[in-house]
Amino acid sequence: MGEVLIIGYGNPLRSDDGFGWHTSRKIARELAGRGARVITCHQLTPELAEPLSQSSHALFIDADVEGEPGEIHWREVLPQAPASSALTHTCSPAGLLSSAKLLYGRCPQATAVTVTAQSFEFGDSLSPVVSAALPKVVERVLQFACPDELRK
Amino acid sequence: MDEESGDHPIVEVWKPMRKITIDAVTRIEGHAKVSIQLDDNGKVSDTQLHVTQIRGFEKFTEGRPYYEMPSITARICGICPISHLLAGSKACDAIMSVRIPETAMQLREILHCGQVVQSHALSFFHLSAPDLLLGMDSDPASRNVLGVLEKFPDIARDGIALRKFGQQVIEGLAKERIHPSWVVPGGVNTPLEPAVRDKILSGLPDAKATVRRTLKFFKGVLDQFKEEIEHFGNAPSMYAGLVDSGGKLQLYDGGIRFKDADGKIVVDHVAARDYSNFIGEAALANSYLKAPYFKPVGFPDGVYRVGPLARLNVAKNCGTPMADAEFAEFHQRLGKIVPGSFHFHYARLIEALYGLERMEALLNDPAVLGKQIRANAGVNCQEGVGMIEAPRGILIHHYKVNEEGAITWANLIVATGHNNLAINRSIHQVAQHYVDGNHLQEGMLNRVSAVVRAYDPCFSCSTHASGQLDMHIQLFGPQGSLLDELKSA
Repeated sequence: MGEVLIIGYGNPLRSDDGFGWHTSRKIARELAGRGARVITCHQLTPELAEPLSQSSHALFIDADVEGEPGEIHWREVLPQAPASSALTHTCSPAGLLSSAKLLYGRCPQATAVTVTAQSFEFGDSLSPVVSAALPKVVERVLQFACPDELRK
Repeated sequence: MDEESGDHPIVEVWKPMRKITIDAVTRIEGHAKVSIQLDDNGKVSDTQLHVTQIRGFEKFTEGRPYYEMPSITARICGICPISHLLAGSKACDAIMSVRIPETAMQLREILHCGQVVQSHALSFFHLSAPDLLLGMDSDPASRNVLGVLEKFPDIARDGIALRKFGQQVIEGLAKERIHPSWVVPGGVNTPLEPAVRDKILSGLPDAKATVRRTLKFFKGVLDQFKEEIEHFGNAPSMYAGLVDSGGKLQLYDGGIRFKDADGKIVVDHVAARDYSNFIGEAALANSYLKAPYFKPVGFPDGVYRVGPLARLNVAKNCGTPMADAEFAEFHQRLGKIVPGSFHFHYARLIEALYGLERMEALLNDPAVLGKQIRANAGVNCQEGVGMIEAPRGILIHHYKVNEEGAITWANLIVATGHNNLAINRSIHQVAQHYVDGNHLQEGMLNRVSAVVRAYDPCFSCSTHASGQLDMHIQLFGPQGSLLDELKSA
């Protein structure tokens, strides 16, 4: 069984859409190559299906539009066949998991970790309320992804 | 039709005007639509490609320092940023009047090869494979990458792996896959690390095997497309591509060779700075994409094609062993000059193989690890032209600066733009052969879109206007009759 795979994605030039991007980069610095694999990207692409198939558990970190700004959501993701326009411009976590199973024979258990955004306007920083949620998400992901003794 | 499900462009049939509009052409980069005019018998009388995006890079970069141009123009596109980075940097090299270090040239070319491999993989496996593998008339709901994934998982895996390899080459050299800042005027800004070189080299055998496997598969299915091959934009045209001094395929450097439809060299080794002696640009109505043409022949008859098919038509050979073997078989099967636009797909695969082999040769040269990677200078010439072979064809960046180095004028001729007239002609040919307005079927219109896809256009990149943009307003009555119209002068 492989290691935990953490994928943070989003556009860091669209304010809170960059939440996944900033969070995964912070997690990568904390882990310094130990305990879990971290991928930071602008969007989910078909190339992620193979590393997903090799991981024990996947965490997808992204901004959300549902709920109140700053709310943290931790939801299980199940594989679901992607929409027919997928794998070109838009991939979803569920669609990627399904593709991983179809192409490489397995998909991991997966969780979507999201924070409700306040703003998707042009900008390279997070809104205050989303920025305040970032360290809480980082801490929770680190606790999940690797045991405390590995992080010390 | 549900546009969200991917391959369901909006098709409007205007009566009594008898016009079909494919809006939008799917599975291409950028946005375009096709209008097909029918006569009273329901047969195709006229067609046009409309590129509906407008960008403005040549205008809003006026006043910017020349050395910003590679980074700014890279933002024209998220698929082709490397091409603009390279052409823009070469234009800046010319403004600086520098000859960049040999190591820098090698590194830029390796990056470029990675870009060609990933771009051709995207075009073949993701954009065109649904038509080629599932059939032009297959159900649009599943005629997409998902359909390929379900029915041909081996090929889908190959496509993903090949594109990933190309992207990893880019990331390994330039640290970022999209809009990297590594290529700069005068060279590149960091040398290649031995570990990165070794990692790329270790991935090459699998990548080459993937392309060879795909070539073998594709050659095996060519017979299924006899009608498409016969009617997919195979009208005679000139061809243009970069070659080296010996006539070999050149993607990074070289001069333009123009050949006529019979394969005779018309003009050879045109240097970047002299392109405007042979390439003119015209504006087309109802499209934001200008139409380059071969100046000695004039507009609109000076049609020429660029890109993989054109390159393999103008070059003497590729210069790497496996690609050369495929190149020889390509021409043996299809002729000294291969006119059919359907064969862009075949040519694209051969070029992907060339890109991998060329990358390997450069990486195995000890000079590639050299530390001299950048030439430094200021403005020594107030005009510079950079030219490369982008995956889709010749890309030209032409800048003029003032004494302080601020851009005063810029002109970009992007690959897909060169092919504008040819794509229009190809659409007309396909529509005339396949489209019957009295018995309209989806597969007919998919073939019109498919010929556009064969050129692997990047309309986002290529849309650049020439001169004053047209304003044309038409007022139609409830029955569709034209009541009034207004055109700008």
